[in-house]
Amino acid sequence: MSDEILKVRDLTTRFFTEEGQVNAVEHVDFDVRDGEVFGIVGESGSGKSVTALSLIDLVETPGRIVEGEVWYRDADLAEEHRDSHPDAVDGDYVDVRQLPEATRRWLRGPAFATIFQDPMSSLNPSITVGEQIAEAVEVQRRARANPRRTRSRTQGYGLGRLLVDSVLPSQGYVSDESQERAVELLERVGIPDPEQRADEYPHEFSGGMLQRAMVAQALAGEPDVLIADEPTTALDVTIQAQILNLLTELQEEEDMSVVLITHNLGVIARMCQRVGVMYAGEVVERGSLEDVFENPVHPYTEGLLGSIPDVEDPAPRLSPIEGNVPSLLDAEMGDECYFADRCPKAMESCLTDIEEHEAPAATDDTDHLVRCILADREYDESEALGSAAKQEVISDD
Amino acid sequence: MISPRTLRNLRKELRSSALAKIGIVLVLAMILVAAFAPFIALHNPTNQDLDENTLPPMGFSRTTEETTSEMVNGSLQLTNETVYVNATASHPLGTNSLGQDVYSRAVYGARTSMMVGVLGTVLAAILGVSVGLVAGFYRGRIDDALMRFADVSLAFPSLVLAIALIGLWGRAAVDVPDPFVVFGLVDPVRSALGLPTGMPDSFVLPGTVIVVVGLVNWVWFARIARGEALSIREEEYVKAARALGASDARIIGRHVLPNATTPILVLATIQVAAIILLESSLSFLGFSGTTLSWGFDISQGRGYLSTAWWIATIPGIAIVLAVIGVNLVGDWLRDALDPGIEGEGGV
Repeated sequence: MSDEILKVRDLTTRFFTEEGQVNAVEHVDFDVRDGEVFGIVGESGSGKSVTALSLIDLVETPGRIVEGEVWYRDADLAEEHRDSHPDAVDGDYVDVRQLPEATRRWLRGPAFATIFQDPMSSLNPSITVGEQIAEAVEVQRRARANPRRTRSRTQGYGLGRLLVDSVLPSQGYVSDESQERAVELLERVGIPDPEQRADEYPHEFSGGMLQRAMVAQALAGEPDVLIADEPTTALDVTIQAQILNLLTELQEEEDMSVVLITHNLGVIARMCQRVGVMYAGEVVERGSLEDVFENPVHPYTEGLLGSIPDVEDPAPRLSPIEGNVPSLLDAEMGDECYFADRCPKAMESCLTDIEEHEAPAATDDTDHLVRCILADREYDESEALGSAAKQEVISDD
Repeated sequence: MISPRTLRNLRKELRSSALAKIGIVLVLAMILVAAFAPFIALHNPTNQDLDENTLPPMGFSRTTEETTSEMVNGSLQLTNETVYVNATASHPLGTNSLGQDVYSRAVYGARTSMMVGVLGTVLAAILGVSVGLVAGFYRGRIDDALMRFADVSLAFPSLVLAIALIGLWGRAAVDVPDPFVVFGLVDPVRSALGLPTGMPDSFVLPGTVIVVVGLVNWVWFARIARGEALSIREEEYVKAARALGASDARIIGRHVLPNATTPILVLATIQVAAIILLESSLSFLGFSGTTLSWGFDISQGRGYLSTAWWIATIPGIAIVLAVIGVNLVGDWLRDALDPGIEGEGGV
């Protein structure tokens, strides 16, 4: 049995806006292995968060996942759908995107859980923290008790219940065990006085505590894959460290896989075993942390790493990457490498040829992939495009 | 669902606003009068006593020309005499042309207004909030279809629509037994107080009117609920709930609706006042299923305005007090619950 819990293939998500088609995520491939932290790093607007939302199928209109496969390893689920959805099953893997909607929803929580960027707004202000976590526990407990995965997992939550609940906040749906489990989870993520805090509302929590509560809620379904979308961006530095420690600890104890999305290279270096670098909706370089960080091939990765201050060798000025992320509007995107106009090593053929190449392996690992022509050739300064020439070619499109 | 902070805001706003106090007193008074009408009314409001017709209210008198005929020397002599009709203590606000007690009719009219106002608002809110939440939550074509339909309903004058619907369905009315009378509580109390017994043992609920005012006013709720749903659906906690596998019904019921209650509640109070007015208009025009209604009494008294102003004026004052009271309560709720809204309230 292979050790990948998740295999993402050719994932493409586009937004169909009034200004035109926006190619937010283009042909993204990556694998997430059992018990590893896979990092996705990139600038704002590089498609990191849309990738995360695409994994759990939560892209909102006008966005749509145009193509791609998300293979998730679940032998039982594969067996169950082998006959009814032959295209969606491959060995022990199921393609989440081809499963029926009810099953996809069933997977959210027990298979994939998500932590979002802003803990302050990720909990409903009108329900106590404990109740929200208990409800997540209950939903997922019921999901397990309904292994057919065919009918709505919110059975027993019909219109009548809804009307009653909206008038009288009821404990009827949530069992006592789920309430207790919620308190356990709060304790688990390091919230002091969990029993008392469970009865408090989100506005009574600090940002760090709320993010802990969010983690507790994500753990409610004992997920195989935890997707953390910029989990520490909204927090101050000391709290960031605490949350990252917590995630590391929980990931090891629960043996989860984590997809960690961030723009912070320091966080990636500290947390991840493998990493993918995104630029303009594409994964431009991916491989093990050592490969990517110590032996970067793509000039963009080099540029990102070059713009981090080095404590040992403080440079008088950091070297940022010139320019901005290109527009992702389809009409404005040409055939050239999207990084070509900012790339210090751009060459003539960069403007036509952007196939994915396998890089010379820096370690034994042959998983180091780079979307750049430099992957299998050396940089030759004589072929370099001057910045004027680059501008000209780009604006010709 | 009512947090201590909300209660604190309500109390604070109530302390600082005299208008809010007036509104609460008026509304509470109206609720009590409507609920305990059989104890508060002086007479059975439908009893006619033609001997005592058109009596003026206390402190007023009415003059009437009385013609007496007399045989004087073989010829008929007519004498016109101005007669003073004085108020009697048993009819403190006078009687109408059929000799029914104006005060007792106003007391029972409060029941009709309250029942139609509250039930009509509840119906409008259920319809409108459901439609609005669905439209705002799903957006797209569902939203377009539902909201265009709402716009069309809104473009239609509500009174005309109400009359058309009543014309279509008739004036169905439901006889609701009066629990106080049915359980025999009224007569002993009234005898002890020395009041006439024999109060009506049932109360006529104008069913069609309730349905119609609900159907006419749902649009306001749909608009507010849609707006709230549109903004709340973008909240992170909705995304988080969905990422945890919550269904649409659960998200709407647990996350969208509870966070949309404040503006819906404020609108509902104001709608009660609007519906009381609409009900009065309908019964004024004779489209109600009951005759115990302020609007009906105004229409009855309209012809006597020059000679017996109280028949139409007393129920008119009752309508004014009820609508002002409900609107003041609505303003109070709005100011206390949603300090962000600085809008014009009222009908």
